[in-house]
Amino acid sequence: MTLAAVSDAGPLIHLAEIDSLELLSTFDTLLVPETVYREVETGGVPDRLADLSYELVEADESRIGAEELDAGERAALAIADERGIVLLTDDLAAREAASDADVEVHGSIGIIALSYGRGLLDRDESASRMRALQHETSLFVTEAVVERGIRILDEQ
Amino acid sequence: MAAEISDRVREIAEARGLPESEVFERALERGLEDLWEDLVLAQYLDGKLDREEAVERVGRTKVERADREREVVEEDVDWGLNA
Repeated sequence: MTLAAVSDAGPLIHLAEIDSLELLSTFDTLLVPETVYREVETGGVPDRLADLSYELVEADESRIGAEELDAGERAALAIADERGIVLLTDDLAAREAASDADVEVHGSIGIIALSYGRGLLDRDESASRMRALQHETSLFVTEAVVERGIRILDEQ
Repeated sequence: MAAEISDRVREIAEARGLPESEVFERALERGLEDLWEDLVLAQYLDGKLDREEAVERVGRTKVERADREREVVEEDVDWGLNA
């Protein structure tokens, strides 16, 4: 199945923090709104981002009314909604806004699971990267929840 | 790492006007609190502790956050394995 997605800054930053940006190549098409690129740029564009194949796109974020979201999240959600593609975000509020708009939404842990499901990572490497997301990045996720995710990998 | 810890302890002690021993004590308390919360939430998510007991030990906000995170992680892993 062909997979297209648009990312906000969260997964780009969190995956870069654990040297896993290459996992985004699992998607056949990856879009990055210009607003999101500028947000990532303020913290220094991760080196590996240049190795990724992605398309910078303009978005009309004003069509998304969720004021609790930042401009990058609104831009990514606007594109996902407009094009019917997956939204990648690690922000719970953005996730809820996407669900309300019937947009399919997943985060960095889903990207690792997808890479495992498609054979890019083995089980141990997937588990190790999920734990690294919790220990080594600015992503806030409860340790026990990550361990539960790893157990689901084992069950399937 | 050890040098970094010593430097930070010294800086905090100076900035707060505390003895370094007090800084270590507070750090231990905070770290222990985090480890305690991890343990309680792990027991709750594993079904070894009921929800009300977990709420009593770490507070409703943290349990609700863990519930929401669990839902998100389960959705994501299930999607990743089947997409």
